[in-house]
Amino acid sequence: MIQRIRRFDWTLFGTILVLLFLSFLFIYSAGYQSGDVALGGKALKQVVWALIGLGCYTAGAAFDYRKLKELHWWVYAAALAGLLLVFLFPEKNNAHRWIPMPGFDLQPSEFAKLALVFSLAAMLSNPATDVQEPFTFAKAFLLAAAPFMLIVMEPDLGTSMVLVPVTIALLFCAGAPRRPILILIGAGIGGLILLGIWLSYFPDTCPFLTEYQKSRVLVYLNVSQDPLGAGWNKLQSQIAVGSGGLFGKGYLKGTQNILGFLPRTVAPTDFIYSVVAEETGFTGSSVLLVLYTTMTVRCMRTAVKAVDRFGRLLAVGIGVLLFSHVFINIAMTVGLMPITGLPLPLMSYGGSFMVSTMAALGLVQSVYLRRRI
Amino acid sequence: MKIRRTERLSPLRIYAVLTLMVTAYLVLLGALWRLQVSKVSQFESRIESQSLRRVRLPGIRGKIYDRNDLCLADNRPNYTIALFPEEIRHPGLTKTVDHAMDVVDQVAEITGLTPILDRKDIIRHINGYRPLPLVLWRDVGPKVIARFAEQAHDIPGVDIYTQATRKYPYSPYTSHLLGYVGEVEPSKDSAEEYFSYNLDEMKGRAGLEKLFDPFMRGEAGAKLVQVDVGIYRYRDLMRRAPKRGGDLRLTLDMEVQLLAHQALGTNVGSVVVMDPNNGDVLAMLSGPGYDANRFVPYITSKDWNVLTEHPGKPMLNRAVMGTYPPGSTFKPLVGLAAATVNPNAIHTVYDCPGAFRVGKRIMHDWNRGGHGERDMRGALMRSANVYFFKTALENGHEPIIEQAKAIGLGQKTGVEVDYERSGVLPDTEWLRQKGIGGWTDGDTCNLAIGQGFLAVTPIQMAMLTATIANGGYLYRPRLIQAYREPGADLFSPAPERRMGKMNWSPEVVETVRGGMHDVIMAEEGTGKSAAVEGLDFAAKTGTAEYWVKIDGERQTKKHTWMIAFAPFDNPQYAVAFLIENGVSGGRTVGPRMKMLMEGLYRKMQMENRVSGSEFQVPGSSHSSFINPQSSIFGGGVS
Repeated sequence: MIQRIRRFDWTLFGTILVLLFLSFLFIYSAGYQSGDVALGGKALKQVVWALIGLGCYTAGAAFDYRKLKELHWWVYAAALAGLLLVFLFPEKNNAHRWIPMPGFDLQPSEFAKLALVFSLAAMLSNPATDVQEPFTFAKAFLLAAAPFMLIVMEPDLGTSMVLVPVTIALLFCAGAPRRPILILIGAGIGGLILLGIWLSYFPDTCPFLTEYQKSRVLVYLNVSQDPLGAGWNKLQSQIAVGSGGLFGKGYLKGTQNILGFLPRTVAPTDFIYSVVAEETGFTGSSVLLVLYTTMTVRCMRTAVKAVDRFGRLLAVGIGVLLFSHVFINIAMTVGLMPITGLPLPLMSYGGSFMVSTMAALGLVQSVYLRRRI
Repeated sequence: MKIRRTERLSPLRIYAVLTLMVTAYLVLLGALWRLQVSKVSQFESRIESQSLRRVRLPGIRGKIYDRNDLCLADNRPNYTIALFPEEIRHPGLTKTVDHAMDVVDQVAEITGLTPILDRKDIIRHINGYRPLPLVLWRDVGPKVIARFAEQAHDIPGVDIYTQATRKYPYSPYTSHLLGYVGEVEPSKDSAEEYFSYNLDEMKGRAGLEKLFDPFMRGEAGAKLVQVDVGIYRYRDLMRRAPKRGGDLRLTLDMEVQLLAHQALGTNVGSVVVMDPNNGDVLAMLSGPGYDANRFVPYITSKDWNVLTEHPGKPMLNRAVMGTYPPGSTFKPLVGLAAATVNPNAIHTVYDCPGAFRVGKRIMHDWNRGGHGERDMRGALMRSANVYFFKTALENGHEPIIEQAKAIGLGQKTGVEVDYERSGVLPDTEWLRQKGIGGWTDGDTCNLAIGQGFLAVTPIQMAMLTATIANGGYLYRPRLIQAYREPGADLFSPAPERRMGKMNWSPEVVETVRGGMHDVIMAEEGTGKSAAVEGLDFAAKTGTAEYWVKIDGERQTKKHTWMIAFAPFDNPQYAVAFLIENGVSGGRTVGPRMKMLMEGLYRKMQMENRVSGSEFQVPGSSHSSFINPQSSIFGGGVS
């Protein structure tokens, strides 16, 4: 036991604790700015979620991840069932993303992302699987396609997009041949470019994007760079980040986040980074970036040290998954990517995502604990 | 044998992925540096000493004109003093609201206005409608504007904001038709739409305003202005012009509408005037009316209560929503129907005593003494019930129902109103469905005098009158004469709604028209109280009984009708006139119809449309009244 504790990845755990603390601070600040009826209500709720998350983290670390090799189909099936179930409940903010539970709303897509990582890792690490075979590729894609399509239908384009780099990275790290992967990445980028061209020239005929999704992409492409309409949020988000300067305006002193600039449903959930950037400036926002880089590096280090193939792929999958969230979220805040509703791991307000992130990081710890010396 | 690659796998690929991810983080760091540090002066100055303001430029709602281009629904500018919440922000909501209240007090002191909004309103607006200016005072006068411009222009976050307000210059007379616009409550569901600057401020809530809302609405524009704090200086950074909405030109003739209004007076009822030559609705009135201007931008609960509690139900558009038994005004159709199966029916003479036995029931004539022996024309003139009982029983009820159905009674006419009721045209099937039983002779007799289950709207009766007036050409009423698309210079005409022709022979039509002519022009006519010196016209009176229970007691009440068309030879107007709870068609509606006809006669004289009509022999030729129809095909002027 004592040996186990000595083998614990204290760096990763410490990073997590710091992020959780910052999350509380800045959710409080965002609540203070927008004048929530119960001041700090969301911040306190977030503390509760963080505590539950720490429980999940401990459980994940104690759990022998190798058992997942047998269990992963059950998790995958349950995740798909959850994704189907959301359509039975009434829409909220024009989307079917949540299953109402007593006290909170469950978001099955958060767990589906993890379930996909488990299944892909298990499948690709199975000795019977030959990763060089095209059939393995097809199987991996079928596994990814089912949750991908269901999440697109919710619609939640941002979340579904995260599954793409995860799937590709897992195939790559499992040793799949390079050429099909490159072709795949090329096809993906080509598809995005095509979509961009389509939207720029025939914005009314695009079949599967909603009006606001289209406007967000168009704003990003600068085709209708319209600071009066859809571009207003982007402009204001950039002003908020930019107005932070080198050292920021000081804690609880931000003004950009309160009035006017963000749709109420996304701040303080998805735009928490802009609160940090405005109030702590470049200094604070780069500290946060360093913390996330540490998290990513520690996940990949775990992968390298893992005792078996499954553990290695599990750590890679989780590391890439969290990285994708961080990158997309911050890129959208600074105006590098179109606005999508994707939370920032450990910082954004929200229970489902907190629990799934903490459980995932717990599993990474579990892999680390059982590593090769 | 398969080679296990697992063991041979190097961590190289993992390092490659990690390198890619760290590079991505560095890209983010670079973007942050660019945004926060290297560009800092630009962004900081935007926040500290200037601010950006999005000013909404409201879309200009299309106008509604009558057929002579008289404007019935207009826009006028409404100067308001408004707060721009995005510019008054302070850290924390409480401080922001404090600041807003300060600004309100400052402006109130300068302008001498009393603050209307309190903290709660400001918080509600900030939480809900952030991108929209918060209107502090509406409709401020030129004095206030002057004082504001002199002394308050340098207070940040507050400014004069112009809204367009809808105005209905002839409102009480047009309210049922035009409806009204009201302020929009942004929906709480869609965050995306909610925060958009081009939210509509006004939306059509009733009548044509509602029906043609998307067409007339227009599109809001906006401009992005840079406001320098402390100095009265703006710079337009960009501008998107608002778009006009489409205009409507109605078939309505406001002159006729006003005549109808004068004729109806304070009575509860409805007047519909149609042009029998094309189905144009020239007037459509329902009394009592209401002032639609009270609904703009929103109606006070006090006014609303007055409207909804008024016993005359002023919100009800009786012309299309009121269903009444037509009574004797239905008889011309009964005569026409009989003649379709029996061409001799118009010559058949029946004895018309004061009472008539159908099965066990005795049905009385309105005149207990009866009317003696009558042919169809004479029976129409005297409105002899027994004549129509006998002819309906002899020729059957089916042709009556068939004809009524063909003309469109008991169906929605499709005229451009937001709510229309169909009424009831009972037939065997309908009776069965309602569980009333089979069709009896009693039902036939009821139908013959426009009673029983039959219920029609005034506009349906106007349609029937127009069809008789023009000799059987069927038009569905239309209210829109032409549309002007947003941005277009000219109106493009809406099509007429010609539905076909009834299978009435000219002789039969002439008999029925003749009977209606005698109603007004003959000594014995039931409608001679409506006669107008010099104008030759035709009409039919009707008194429809219905029963109401008042304090548990069954009481008989009467809806009184008159349908008419004028001039007799070359009909220009087909009128349906209804007054609720009158005495009789002749006595209650007659004098009112006279007023209307006098007005129409003067109008026709002024427009030189009836020169010499006095010298024409009544009913001399039917070609003259069918004549205008040729214009539909021949391109003449109608």
